[in-house]
Amino acid sequence: MTESNEAADPGLVWTGPKRFRVRTAAYVDPVVFAREMKRVFESNWVFVAHESEISEPGNYKTSHIGLQPVIISRDDDRQIHVLLNRCVHRGAAVCREQRGSANLFRCPYHGWMYGNDGKLVGMSLAGGDAGYDSDFDRPEGLVRVPRVESYRGMVFASLNPDVKPLVEYLGRAAWIIDNKLDASPVGQIQLRSKPIVARYPGNWKFQAENIVDGYHFSFVHEGFTHLQRQYQDATGDFGVHAGNDSPADVRRVRSRGRNYGTPNGHGLTARPVADLVPWLEGKHGAYYRELLDAYGEERLKMIAGRSTASIFPNLGLIHHQIRVWRPLSANLTEVTVYPYDLVGVDEEINRGWLRSQERFYGAAGYGQPDDTEVFAVNQQGLSATAVDWLILERGLHAERDEGGGDWSGQPGGEVPQRSFWLEWMRRMESQEEQS
Amino acid sequence: MTNLVFGRRQAEALVYREARLLDDLELDEWLTLFTDDGIYWVPIDENAPVDESVSIIYDWPLRREERVRHLLDIPFPAQSPRSRTMHLVSNVESVKQESGEYLVRTNQIIHEIRVGDFSQVGLGVVNVLAGQVHYTVRIVNGNPLIAMKKVLLLNREMPQGNLTFML
Ligand code: FES
Ligand SMILES: [Fe+2]
Repeated sequence: MTESNEAADPGLVWTGPKRFRVRTAAYVDPVVFAREMKRVFESNWVFVAHESEISEPGNYKTSHIGLQPVIISRDDDRQIHVLLNRCVHRGAAVCREQRGSANLFRCPYHGWMYGNDGKLVGMSLAGGDAGYDSDFDRPEGLVRVPRVESYRGMVFASLNPDVKPLVEYLGRAAWIIDNKLDASPVGQIQLRSKPIVARYPGNWKFQAENIVDGYHFSFVHEGFTHLQRQYQDATGDFGVHAGNDSPADVRRVRSRGRNYGTPNGHGLTARPVADLVPWLEGKHGAYYRELLDAYGEERLKMIAGRSTASIFPNLGLIHHQIRVWRPLSANLTEVTVYPYDLVGVDEEINRGWLRSQERFYGAAGYGQPDDTEVFAVNQQGLSATAVDWLILERGLHAERDEGGGDWSGQPGGEVPQRSFWLEWMRRMESQEEQS
Repeated sequence: MTNLVFGRRQAEALVYREARLLDDLELDEWLTLFTDDGIYWVPIDENAPVDESVSIIYDWPLRREERVRHLLDIPFPAQSPRSRTMHLVSNVESVKQESGEYLVRTNQIIHEIRVGDFSQVGLGVVNVLAGQVHYTVRIVNGNPLIAMKKVLLLNREMPQGNLTFML
């Protein structure tokens, strides 16, 4: 099913002048899943941490590159290392905490010790006839992920030594990151709260698609729009969903701006604010006027706007959060929402964003549980495998070339999703065998 | 002012009644169990300052009302079909605080199920949550009212499923 010798078979993604369809197997087939762990995750840049999570020497956190468990640690010289969480002796995990601070990682099985830079610094009972010979081929330490680069504090890692430089890979997605982070007068964010973590019984690509899906909001979140009409900001929305008071309002508000597709699979929704006056003259006007002085009107419209990004393959930006999705199997996914603070911004503003995100994205909240429920419903629907295709052709007739390989469409169309799938297909179907 | 003793038996009466109201979705009545400034808190990290940390639920009075209106009056995917719940309450202790309020500590097990087409993903399965539930009870005009309900789920910082029912 996933591979075919027939030239006429369109494969997993069927593209043509008026065609963009994805095969059911792309979401449900364990063989496809195993292949995408290799080709989409292990051969590519993957977001693993934000630098503020490991701000001090010795700090570490654990994360994943696809199914590969890694430790991201900061050594005594402040250098960041991404290391496979597996003792090179006989395989035990060397770190059992999710985050913390350590000078050493000591293997629980036979006590080999690794520095917080991953180097092997101690082997127990190494000598003698039961130990190692003098010419023992001693490993250097924990296996190191070969490529680690940061963009504005966001740490990406790759198991593929030949990936292109991160900035080049991010392309236009860096524009969204810049606008999000420049909402801080010093251009920095800090992850302070513990994250919101959810699991849903559905494929990871539903989350990658949905974070830039303008089409679903007035349906999945119709109940939320009713709640919004009733409570506005009194229960902590903090102006984020202003104007989303009915499904019709949502459709109008969310068709503003522009959707982008990019050559590396990132899907973007740029939604600048239409009118800056309510921001400049509102309760937190001083903050916005400071940004206006620093960046001017056009940039501020983007900075104060409501842009979102699905950065291929596992990173999302929306509201004031970093979101990471982690595939566990073809039909199980973990989503972690890290709310961030804008450094240098009034506490009251950061608190406002935090309460707003808690209300929408929490496990008992009024937004994200409906999204993850729908992802499960999607996976359930796809158990009808006798149906071959999913249709992703909204706005296909009205795409616009933006140069540099990017293209665009109107929000509510499926440009960002097609961007994702085109890159996914290139990686899955590429002839060169990647490790 | 009052010599009303709010001991274990009185505390049990309050928390059993609360459990019944939650399981029967008598949520407008549930709202009346709280003081005017009553907080309903389900933390992810109970040691972090509330202002710097997201919670699973951090409901001030208007938010408690919103939660009830949302659940009773508005259809939404995560509760279509709806959850049934059963709260089991045990290990009840009531200790008077210096403030004059009582700290009622309980252990609770919450069973939850969504029915519907039980052949489908996410439906027809009993989910179990366990945790300590602490109530700060204030006696107002002789009535014991909840000034704070704090739910410390055993798995509070772990991955969660759908918690859009009453904990
Ligand atoms: S497996 Fe780690 S020391 Fe033996
Ligand atoms: Fe959504």
